[in-house]
Amino acid sequence: MNTVLILLPLVLTLLYSLATVPVLVWMERRIAALIQDRLGPNRCHINGIRLGGIIQSIADMMKLVFKEEFLPSHIKNRFYYLVAPSLAFMSAFLTFMVIPYADTLTINEQSYSMQALPTDLGVLWFLAFAGLGVYGIILGGWASHNKYAILGAIRASAQVIGYEVAMGLSLVSILITYGTISLNEMVSYQTQSFFIFPAWGLFIQPLASIIFIVTAFAETNRAPFDAAEGESEIVAGYHTEYGAMKFGLYFVAEYIAMAASGALIVTIFLGGYQLPYLNTSELINNFELILWGIIAFAIVTSLLFLRWMKQHNIFAMSGLDETKIYTTVVIGFTIFAILVMSYYALGFGDANEVGVMLLQFAVFTIKLFFLHFVFIWVRWTLPRFRYDQTQKLGWNILLPLSLANIFITAIVVVGVNYGN
Amino acid sequence: MGIKVVERHGNTFKEKIYLHAVFSGMKTTLKHFTANLRDASNLPTLCYPEQKPTDITPRYRGVHRLTHRKEDDSIACVACFMCATACPANCIEIVAADREDGRDEKMPQVFNIDLLECVFCGYCVEACPCDAIRMDSGIYSVIGECREDFIYNKAKLLSIQGISKEEFSLAK
Ligand code: SF4
Ligand code: SF4
Repeated sequence: MNTVLILLPLVLTLLYSLATVPVLVWMERRIAALIQDRLGPNRCHINGIRLGGIIQSIADMMKLVFKEEFLPSHIKNRFYYLVAPSLAFMSAFLTFMVIPYADTLTINEQSYSMQALPTDLGVLWFLAFAGLGVYGIILGGWASHNKYAILGAIRASAQVIGYEVAMGLSLVSILITYGTISLNEMVSYQTQSFFIFPAWGLFIQPLASIIFIVTAFAETNRAPFDAAEGESEIVAGYHTEYGAMKFGLYFVAEYIAMAASGALIVTIFLGGYQLPYLNTSELINNFELILWGIIAFAIVTSLLFLRWMKQHNIFAMSGLDETKIYTTVVIGFTIFAILVMSYYALGFGDANEVGVMLLQFAVFTIKLFFLHFVFIWVRWTLPRFRYDQTQKLGWNILLPLSLANIFITAIVVVGVNYGN
Repeated sequence: MGIKVVERHGNTFKEKIYLHAVFSGMKTTLKHFTANLRDASNLPTLCYPEQKPTDITPRYRGVHRLTHRKEDDSIACVACFMCATACPANCIEIVAADREDGRDEKMPQVFNIDLLECVFCGYCVEACPCDAIRMDSGIYSVIGECREDFIYNKAKLLSIQGISKEEFSLAK
């Protein structure tokens, strides 16, 4: 039990970062397709099972892994060339380490932190590694010995310099408001209420959250700030010379970086793993009530899902009968979950702490995937910023705004504290 | 006079902070997303090859065919080499021969079109003085197992049916 609980956040980090990549790629494709009035991936299958198209992204990953590893002969700095993608990948991956997935769990007087890296310096760690990620891009662009690649790398570095400042400064105003740099304490701060709203960062600090979200987009090189790739201008930017899994690492790194910034935005601005208004001890005390709510929710959603699937899963592949299998799985899983939950809801077992932890994982996951949706939605809505516009936005607008926000926040916080 | 003064956009405060335009754009895409998620049956996507296109008209440039004469169903081509000359891909191969039945002086003995080289530009159809070559077959997918399968010879080209009203050559 002890080891399991200590290893759990590490496993979760792996799950949230690596295992979600195929799902993210699938989401990207499906959402893009639906936004553009298309269908998206629906062919690739394993004996008739398509999982709604996720098999396609798994197939793509396999292709990248098994492709020939070639090395362009003009490259002088082989070592840097090879190290660059892994640098981008590793730093994207490491940013995830500080995200708290649930409140600190206390069982038998022992507390287990649900952060992979139990530190209070979460925000600083995030800033450091998010900044390091761009070194992978710069190094790759420079070592590629290619005009387009170096252009992409220069763009990426200039962009990061500009936006990192605004990002850091917008975080400063957040830190002043919360009065802490520990991500866990930030989350528990957000369970209070602010007038009638939950005291989420988004409502307390709207300006800082907009600045942070915009800079997070720029930091992860996602559209509309993907001038570093800019395939319409500079071929593929920094990864022009990369192929096979070396390209795959850059590709995965982008998604993990997106997931990590999404997770940080959830933690700082959207109340993290907590439900609005409710803090952990309230959750533990009212756990039965919440379970009944979840049971009702599970029944309704699975029924809705089954109806939706009956309407939409019409294009049959050869092999197993997909609709039938999914229906059985969904019904079976729902019944199993309801049985387990009602066992605890009726008061037979006592595992409120663990139950609340699982609930908080679920809340965090839902919020995280909502943010993934937003990231993807923005990408397929906005065209790429022109390069000078990116710089202007960063230095002329976001930087002064975030500076002003710090002063205003400081004045308000001092005023409120003085008033009290 | 003919000058239309267009108002310059992007200078008002509302436009400068971008957010308004960003959110209205996101509203549009979200509308598409939710509508399509709720009911995907309205999507114009064609699940080819299970569903076939229905909008192939006689003017669609499909695989070539050689037309026949109305009087006796014989080949309309007079082996004038106009099509082969016009062809930018240089993929028409003609060997001319004397025509014995007295209808004309010449006819092709060999008429090969290499569809792997053809760019489906339709210049051959434009060039032909006898309306002997047409691309109104409506065939949009050409399938073969080796390169030779894609070289359509005279017999094959003569056997392809057209989908337009005029079946025979219209040349006088
Ligand atoms: S369609 Fe164009 S390329 Fe093809 S045979 Fe005719 S002229 Fe040549
Ligand atoms: S198809 Fe027409 S253009 Fe070509 S050789 Fe025959 S008659 Fe001449």
